Parts: sequence; C-alpha cells; structure tokens
Amino acid sequence: MAAGATVTADRLSVSFGGRPALSEVGFTLTGGTFAGVLGPNGAGKTTLLRALLGMVQASGCIEVRGRPAYVPQLATTSEAFPIDALGVVVMGRYPRLGWRRRPGRSDRRLAAELLGQVGLTDRARSPFSALSGGQRQRVLMARALAQEGDVLLLDEPLTGIDGPSQATILEVIGAQRAQGKTVVMTTHDLGQAARECDRLLLLNRTLIADGTAGEVLTPDVLRRAYEAEVVMLAGGAAIIDEGAHHSSHSH
Amino acid sequence: MLAPFDVPYMQSALLAGLLISVPCGLLGVWVILRGLAFFSHAVGVATFPGVVLGLGFPALGPFAGSLLAAGAFGAAVSSVETDHRVRGGAVTGLALATAMAIGAVLLTTVAKVSTPIESVLFGSLLGISDLDIVRCAVAAALAIGALAALWPRLAASTFDRAWAAPAGARPARIDGALLVLLGFTVVTALPAVGSLLVSGLLVIPPATARLLCDRLGAMTACAVALCAAEIVIGLAVARELDVAPGASIAAVGGVGFALAAAVAAGRSARSRRMMSA
Repeated sequence: MAAGATVTADRLSVSFGGRPALSEVGFTLTGGTFAGVLGPNGAGKTTLLRALLGMVQASGCIEVRGRPAYVPQLATTSEAFPIDALGVVVMGRYPRLGWRRRPGRSDRRLAAELLGQVGLTDRARSPFSALSGGQRQRVLMARALAQEGDVLLLDEPLTGIDGPSQATILEVIGAQRAQGKTVVMTTHDLGQAARECDRLLLLNRTLIADGTAGEVLTPDVLRRAYEAEVVMLAGGAAIIDEGAHHSSHSH
Repeated sequence: MLAPFDVPYMQSALLAGLLISVPCGLLGVWVILRGLAFFSHAVGVATFPGVVLGLGFPALGPFAGSLLAAGAFGAAVSSVETDHRVRGGAVTGLALATAMAIGAVLLTTVAKVSTPIESVLFGSLLGISDLDIVRCAVAAALAIGALAALWPRLAASTFDRAWAAPAGARPARIDGALLVLLGFTVVTALPAVGSLLVSGLLVIPPATARLLCDRLGAMTACAVALCAAEIVIGLAVARELDVAPGASIAAVGGVGFALAAAVAAGRSARSRRMMSA
C-alpha cells in the first residue's frame, strides 16, 4: 500500500567487473518523499535505480516496500517499433496482468485517462516515434502510472525536454506524492532539484550527502561530489565546472 | 495464374510455401524490429555444412544435419558475443564465413554429394517431400502458439528492454525462445529456398510491411500476407523461367520492397506538402 511505500538501502554496494560503481550507500525514504538523486556523469545514479529494481547484483541491503514503477531514460526506447502513444501506456498494464492476459476495455480506459493526465489525449493515436522528446517522456510517465506502483523510480525524466512537458511531469509527480507514493528521480539540474524535491541524495560512487537542499547544496559538499570548481550564485543555484582543465570557464 | 501449379510437385511446393509463410512472416516481424536481419541470414548460411553432411550421410539426413548446424551456430555466436569487444555482428560474420568454408570443404572431401550445389544454396522445386510439408505445418503451429503466449513480453522487451526487464518480462528467456523458433523455421524453409536465400522470407516481407504499417498488428498481418504472395508468385516464376525458387522468391520480394519504398516516399512527401501548405 502507498502508506508503506518505503525505500531503504543499507551499505548498498555494486561493482561492475571488479570496478566499484557504488559503495556503502545508505538511506531511507518514506512514503510521500520526492527524492532527487544528483551527481556527476558516472556517479552511479542510474545504477542506484537499477539496484533498487533488483536489476544489478548488489551487496548490502535493499528494501523496497511497495510495488515499483520505472521510467528509464528516453533513449532506451526503440524508434522503429510500430506503436502509438496509447499502446505504450497500455503496455504499462502488462505487469499487472501477469504478462499473459491481454489488456481489456478497463485497461484501455485507464490508459486513455492517464494520457489525459499528461496532456496527450489528442495524440493517443500518433505513432510514438512521431512525438517530440517531451511528449515521449510524458507517454513513458503515463506508462509508469499504468503500473500502479507505490514507488516511482524515474531516470532523468526532465533532461533535455521542453518546459511545458517538464511542468506536466512535475505536476504528475506532485499528485503521486499527495497519494503517499515515494518518488526517486535522477537529474543533472541542481536548481530544479532544489526547487522541486524535498530530499536530495548527492552521489559520486558513494553517498556524499543526504538531506534538504540547504544541507546538500553547499560549496564544500558540491566540491567533494563534483571534484570541481563551484561558484554559488544568489538564490542558492550553483554552477559547476566538471574537471579542473576547464576551470577557466568557472569565473 | 494457376497454370504453373498444375503438377503435383508444384502443388507440394505451394502448400509448403503457404505454410512456411506463416512462421516466416510472424517471426520476421521480430527479426526486423530487433535488428536480427543479419543474424537470421547467417543462421541460414550456417546450415550449409549441416545440409552437406546430412546429404552425405543419409543416416543423419539434411534436416537433422541443418538443425544441428543452426543450433551450433546459435550457441557459438551467443556465447562469444557476450564479449563487448566483438559486438555488432563481427562474431556473426565470422561464424557465417567459417560455416561456409566448412561446408565447402565437406562438400569435396568427407561427404561426396550428388545433389547439385545450387539446390542446397538456392532451393529446389522438386525437393519438397510430404515430410517437409508436415514440418512446415509444425513450424507454423509452433510460431502461432509461441507468439500468442509470449506476445506481451516480446512486445515490451523489444520496445523498451530497460523497462521490460524490471517489470518482469524476462527478456533473456524471450531472446532464447525467439532464436530457437527462428532456427527451426529457417531449417524448415531450407528445401524450398536454400541456405543463402532463406532471409528473403524472414527479412524482406516484414521490412516491406514496416514501410507500409504503423501498428504492430497490421504490420504482422501484412508481413504474413506479403510472405505468402512472394512465395506464390516466386514459385510460379521459378517454374516458368526454370530458375531456383529461392532466387525468384527473393527477387519478387525485392521488387515488392522497392514498390513499398516508393509508396512510402510518396506518402511522406505528400504529408510534408500538406504540413507546409
């Protein structure tokens, strides 16, 4: 149930071919939390989500209480696959139907309703490949909602898409939180994460910091996470210049 | 139109062809959507040494021989291809060339074969036995049954594997089942179309269907229908012109694909004009 939608990791470690991707990560997220997972490229953000889903071999302890629903990065979908927007959302019903039963009228009705929630009722019959990046991301969000999960794991759902689509997705996330569901989102946008999330997890192969924006987005902490120059601007936004060889741009 | 089919051997070929068009069309859709066109061509070619051995040693027979060769090829490619340094068809290409070489060596040494080499490579109208027809029917039934059971998993793991795997679609098992079905279908189609041109049935009709259809169901129906049409016309042409059926079937498919590409190009040009108007 949504009230029990808790995500716990304790000394969670993952390595690929002997190279550590995550080590000794620990946190607890309770129902209604919207957690932003931040960190530089290769910090292990996607790996953390996949570990929570049980898709990578991990040591330590992971407990996801409640059904997970997942939105992978947009690039994982096939361009060539002949399917329309509604069809993609209906696919979200397959796991609930046990992968054998065919979606019925009530599943289609729910899918159409969810497409409406992400503002795409008029594109229901459009081929998925004909939609814009933002529209596709909204369709994938609706597919995750069709899974009726208690814990939403979103891998960069706001990256590289238009403002209105971002606003729609954030609105949907807000509604899910209001129902007591836990939302975990990876992102590169520190400012947006600071504004929208109530909990930030800053990763760089290990958990560098965990807390509110005020606690996490400090120059010291950011420097440790990004191993780079950090400039704090008014309002708490940060400009980060990854890699010391680019340091001339940071002034 | 029906004149070429007025003799029993042509009727056998037609029946086998219509039956095999079902699994070829059904599985071909997934071959195209999963980027397995080169792989499925290679499975066909890889059966060559198996067929040669089977013809040379009647106790084995070409069907069992080619089934063994297809299985060995699938196992070899899938076990080596997990090494990320040789991805992207390199292993498939290498195994294909190796199989062809082994076949050529066997042909002139161990298994002295009286069957003309063209009919092994390009198929034969005369070679379709009643047992072949039964095998085609089995391949059709297997493909229909397996796809009906696996459709949701197959669709989800083809469209978005990263989502389907944690959602419980078990994509690795689906891959395995698809490859086994593909191997059996390829081997079943061999007597009619030959080792080299079996991909004419598994690749060309569904690729053509993809150009014409934007829905999975429609694409699948279209692929099966095109496959059947390609076989009927290709067999008739083979009889009339006295050429190997594998060649005429693939040629008919090629013409069909070109026509569909022209239709698709015309369609998108029209919609561009409408958008700009």
